[in-house]
Amino acid sequence: MIPKLFHKYKLLFILILMAAVLSIISPRFLTKENLSNVLWSISIVGIMVSGTIYSPITSGVDLSVGSLAALSGVLFAKFMITFGFGLIPSILLTIAIACTIGFIHGLIITRINVPPLIITMAAKTYLFGIAMLISKGEMIPIMEPSSFMAIGGGKILGFPIPIFIMVIFILLSHILLKKTAYGRKALAVGANPVTAELSGIDAMQIQTIAYILSAFTAAIAGLVLCSISQLAYALLGQGLELEVITAIVLGGTPLGGGGFGTVFGALIGTVMVGFIGNGLNLMNVPSSFHPIVTGLVIISALALNENLRMGSGTKLKKAKL
Amino acid sequence: MSTNTNDILVQGKHVTKSYHGNVVLEDIEFDIRRGEVHSLVGENGAGKSTLVKIITGVTPRNNGEVDFDGHELPIDFPRTFVEKLGIAVIFQELSLIPGLTVAQNIFLGREPKLGKTRLIDKKKMVTDAEAIIKKYNFPLDPKAEIDSLSIGKRQLVEILKALSMDSKLMIMDEPTASLNLKESKLLFDIIKNLREEGVSILYISHRMEEVFELSDRVTVLRDGQKVALLDREEISPERIISLMIGRDLSVSDYEESVLKTVSGDTILEVKKLCSEKKFSDISFSLNKGEILGISGLVGSGRTEIVRAIYGVDPITSGSVLFDGKEITPTVKQSISLGFGFVPEDRRQQGVFMQLPINKNICSTNFDRYTRMGFVNEKGEDAIAESGINMVSIKPKDPNYIVGNLSGGNQQKVVLAKWLVRDLSILIIDEPTAGIDVGAKDEIYSVINNLARKGVGVLLISSDLPELTRLSDRIIVLREGKMIKEFKDQSITEEEVLRASSGLI
Repeated sequence: MIPKLFHKYKLLFILILMAAVLSIISPRFLTKENLSNVLWSISIVGIMVSGTIYSPITSGVDLSVGSLAALSGVLFAKFMITFGFGLIPSILLTIAIACTIGFIHGLIITRINVPPLIITMAAKTYLFGIAMLISKGEMIPIMEPSSFMAIGGGKILGFPIPIFIMVIFILLSHILLKKTAYGRKALAVGANPVTAELSGIDAMQIQTIAYILSAFTAAIAGLVLCSISQLAYALLGQGLELEVITAIVLGGTPLGGGGFGTVFGALIGTVMVGFIGNGLNLMNVPSSFHPIVTGLVIISALALNENLRMGSGTKLKKAKL
Repeated sequence: MSTNTNDILVQGKHVTKSYHGNVVLEDIEFDIRRGEVHSLVGENGAGKSTLVKIITGVTPRNNGEVDFDGHELPIDFPRTFVEKLGIAVIFQELSLIPGLTVAQNIFLGREPKLGKTRLIDKKKMVTDAEAIIKKYNFPLDPKAEIDSLSIGKRQLVEILKALSMDSKLMIMDEPTASLNLKESKLLFDIIKNLREEGVSILYISHRMEEVFELSDRVTVLRDGQKVALLDREEISPERIISLMIGRDLSVSDYEESVLKTVSGDTILEVKKLCSEKKFSDISFSLNKGEILGISGLVGSGRTEIVRAIYGVDPITSGSVLFDGKEITPTVKQSISLGFGFVPEDRRQQGVFMQLPINKNICSTNFDRYTRMGFVNEKGEDAIAESGINMVSIKPKDPNYIVGNLSGGNQQKVVLAKWLVRDLSILIIDEPTAGIDVGAKDEIYSVINNLARKGVGVLLISSDLPELTRLSDRIIVLREGKMIKEFKDQSITEEEVLRASSGLI
């Protein structure tokens, strides 16, 4: 019974273990202020994880989300400040454009059969290019309206608002994956696209929607990032895609589908990455060492996770490789 | 002929192989003499491929001994060792590398080198390839990329590759499956020449006329056992077929089945259906409550036809009528019209191996347990449960991962996902391939019950007893064309096999 329980919640156990170790190392770790800081620092990645997770679930990947978040910020700033479109229209327009870009990527991947890794890697570059072009490579300061600035700066119950946005998106994504036909179909397509097609599931449509979802959350993350940093800048989102993918994989959703996927797992993965950085800061490890330690911890966490997974019904996948 | 050990190239003693307790080869004794064409025949699943895999070290044997050229072979060994021994294999599935040229493929892994360097001598490779091509008079360009060649030409490259190795034993598994008549003739001449040169050939084919023309001796396998070894003068297509099926037809009439057309409304009609290169001019109709058997050898176009009807593959001309109305098949529409489709390749196309039983069963039923895109979990559970009970899947646990089920239970899962819908037509391709006897019977009764309820069944099977027993009518395909229809008569497996093999 206990091994089974451990098995099901192993990620949570690993996370708690990390927290325990960190709280022993530093008494400052387990304070509301510190935990709130950690969650705040991961909220952008967390928001992006909630939508980007559907590309690996449907056996693809989306590496364009970082650049798309930056582009969204730049577009939003242009619409609102340069064109004076007003807050809500600017937000809606930005989201619509981002979703269209995701839709086009999805179409290229499913209809023209370009590997998702290639197309989204290219997109990472060209979207960054467009953001640079529009912003002329400059930072665009955003100081108002106050309602928008409150997103990044305000607090509820003592916690920064971006944390709540992240929690809402994670919950919505969890519901989408576990309680809707789309989630069921996405897992099925990831498990076996041929069987899915023969069962009447439109695999191409399901995969295309996955890229719209990742684009959607990239846009949201881009907007929140604008509000937090009080500026739009083409370089702001660079590298976020790798943090997002790391969190997803760390959370137990394998790249390449296979019928697996867990949004809460991905959230735990995101928090783990946050804990590592936070722990290093609390221990006063010089920041030049952070990437090395982060990399090593991620590798060991993955190795541990993979080993645990082999105990369950996933030996098959191993055997196929 | 004296059976001096020197005459014998390959000798197998007590060779036994089983997978997960399923015996696929039982205590097989065989030998291949130097300079003979030795054919290996048997129905699908008789153990031919397994025997080849054991000789070539791909699959380890559980028991017994295989001697090659006087030395005992290890239980399993790498491909390079096979080549060193002097065994060349021409597999049914091509092992060529698409992006490389003919010459590069022929000399893959044994490229001529520039002097003492490790660099490839391209010029020499091409001239060497040219020499071999000329020697055997093949219509090939050594510089052509494999991609640009027809399947038949690719097969020729595969054969050339084997020939270029100067082997002592050549194993050919259905080498003519993708060759045209002229290319086949070329191959037969080569085989006869090789025999003159003292090369042994192990020849596997479903085509009786080839076996008859080429063989010096024939080994017949059935259900993993060697049932006969025939010498040249004993070989006749009839003899081989009755040995393959396994009963002496004159002794009992047990295997004779009576076909009787089921009268009922026509539910499906196919007229002059064609698909580029795969099949042409296929016309038949299916009545409600009828089981229509489709017979044909692998590659006869039987799977392609049902895939086209179901809407997976495109149709180039001809029409499909459902309930009298013409339709353009798409998978979605077929499902909404009440089609069920159980594909040939259960593991790759029938089930989601990594998903549990309930998710598998419910994968065809989203319309029935979702509302506004949201899953009604109670409805989902009810569908899964009814599916599990309908075909008695074991274990009954809906959360059990399908990949861990036995083959028979996996097939039941595939059936269940269609049975929970109201079917009008069930297309079922090789319903019991690799399934144990008990589960087979259960699947037969499921198919029969469906027919009794008025569902039209299109049944494809290589298992002839199964096909003749279940079908009300049988059509026979060969090379993409319908060549015979059996109806309202008594029929034996032998007649069907003869028709499929082109021996009418």
